[in-house]
Amino acid sequence: MNLILTLRVLVNGVLFGTTYGIAAVGLSLIFGTMRIIFFAQGTFIIFFAYISYWLLTLLGIDPYLSLIIVIPASLLLGSALYYGIFKEAAANEDKNISLLLAIGLMYLIENVMLVLWTPDPRSVVTSYTTLVFRPFGIVIPFTRLTTLFIAVLTAAGVFIFLKKTLVGTAVRAASEDMVSTTLMGINPNWVNAVAFAIGIGLAGVAGVALATIYPFDPSYGFIFAIKALIALALGGIGNVYGALLGGILLGLIESLGSFYVGGGWADAISYGVFLLVLIFRPQGLFGGSIKKA
Amino acid sequence: MIDKIYSYIKDKRHANIFFTVLGALIFAIIPLFTDVEASYLIYFLFLTFVHTVIAQGWNLVAGYAGQISLGQNAFFGLGAYTTALIWLHDITKTGYYFDPVVMILSGLVPIVLAIIIGIPLLSRLRGDYFAFGTLGIGQIIIVVFLKARAITGGADGLHIPSTVYESIVPYYYTGLLLALFAIAVVYFITRSRIGLALRAIREDEMSAASHGVFILKYKVFAFAVGAFLTGIAGSLYAYYLFHINPDSVLNMNWLFYPILMCVLGGTGTIMGPVIGAFFMTAIFSFGDVYFAQTHPIISGVLIILVMKFMPTGIIGLKDRIFSRGK
Repeated sequence: MNLILTLRVLVNGVLFGTTYGIAAVGLSLIFGTMRIIFFAQGTFIIFFAYISYWLLTLLGIDPYLSLIIVIPASLLLGSALYYGIFKEAAANEDKNISLLLAIGLMYLIENVMLVLWTPDPRSVVTSYTTLVFRPFGIVIPFTRLTTLFIAVLTAAGVFIFLKKTLVGTAVRAASEDMVSTTLMGINPNWVNAVAFAIGIGLAGVAGVALATIYPFDPSYGFIFAIKALIALALGGIGNVYGALLGGILLGLIESLGSFYVGGGWADAISYGVFLLVLIFRPQGLFGGSIKKA
Repeated sequence: MIDKIYSYIKDKRHANIFFTVLGALIFAIIPLFTDVEASYLIYFLFLTFVHTVIAQGWNLVAGYAGQISLGQNAFFGLGAYTTALIWLHDITKTGYYFDPVVMILSGLVPIVLAIIIGIPLLSRLRGDYFAFGTLGIGQIIIVVFLKARAITGGADGLHIPSTVYESIVPYYYTGLLLALFAIAVVYFITRSRIGLALRAIREDEMSAASHGVFILKYKVFAFAVGAFLTGIAGSLYAYYLFHINPDSVLNMNWLFYPILMCVLGGTGTIMGPVIGAFFMTAIFSFGDVYFAQTHPIISGVLIILVMKFMPTGIIGLKDRIFSRGK
């Protein structure tokens, strides 16, 4: 019985951690090219969770089906934001300007959501929300399993994009050395915009996934951004696959922490682990050597 | 006489001192000419002074040493809680209101925290790690204060007997003094050898190290002084609030306000944060009165517009206009 309970906690941790993982992959891509931590990522995730919620409530579109709308819309929004707001700042030597722009954007969107959609928590409820599988007595909700599936699919998609396409190669090259990449004739704005758009696109995917498994409210975005940041640090900054693993690890730490130590402490434990990793293994748990900043 | 003053303030160094003293005198006599208890102006200026102190605290760390700290709310809250705890348990045995000893202690506790977390985080070469790490600290403090209910009162927080409140005047003058103190501290640090070292670190850490600057020492020093100023501001604010809880003194606003003010006014300048504090407090107060719910939206738009069109802040704007004329 105890073993099954532990297994249940572990499985739930992994399943929830995948959402952090998707968000962290987005952060990692944006960091790779623009060298900033995009603080507004969590707020965008909540924004897209709301979009998914309203699509279901007003138009009756299934959350998973809404991905067809959300993904292109978020990619477009991402490139529009890059060219509209971040373009000049990204070219600037001083990265603090981009960082503060992201903070301003987060503040803006969070409060717009608060005014428009009130601080009451919402959750997406569909016919399959309560559907669970019970293999060997471990309770696995259908929505969480789908989230894992989506996360793996998305990570694989990003991986193939980065490895197999020309644009993806340019993004990887820019993460290694922006100056040399520009000298090879690649437009830095184009690479930045692609990475940024994919980052926001991943926020869209994570938002839909989050909406199906967890109640959310506007202020949850900032907490989520910090969680994604922790996942990123655990996996190694600038490491796409590590980011997904980092998210899963964070999910495990949280669910084990809240089960064995107590609800409120889970946060403190994950921040503690985060600090320890930053201090002792800044290249991340899954990274090789430290990358050039 | 006027000629003499004019030639004196033509030197930029003198101008800063001159206008600070002049401003201080004007602010010092304002309460004499207004209906103190009814006037919103006094409250507004009091808030501006508190904001100036925290803005200068961040300015020293980020503007001069180039390290983006995202943990200022932890120091602010720690200062406020220290004051409330000492006051409630009468630890210093002085037992009076506005005890300078208590206020200094409320600045020293954040210093201890700043040194403990500053040494491991600042010894890394990359600035991002410092930003993340400090962000984590604020969150850990919130969780610990929520859980340590026996000492901190949990989510409800601590109640200080509010019967001692008589008038806003002592708050006003203490705030003014603290703001002047903060400006002076940052001014004299930046004009000393330490300031030179800090600026060298901001511009190029590698180069500074190779010229014999002990980087870690200076970065931790700037971080600790910033924490001290923020803690003292938290202490004054606790005396004003009388009821402190994680929601009121540890919330994210205390992390964003100093950043906003410095950025708007001009980070890495002496008067920038002061101007920024005035502007932001005015916008917040105006927004609070006329459109209570939407004013954070305006602040968000404002940060984006400022960073996009005048990334050097209001102070930088002045330089840009004058250099264009030449």
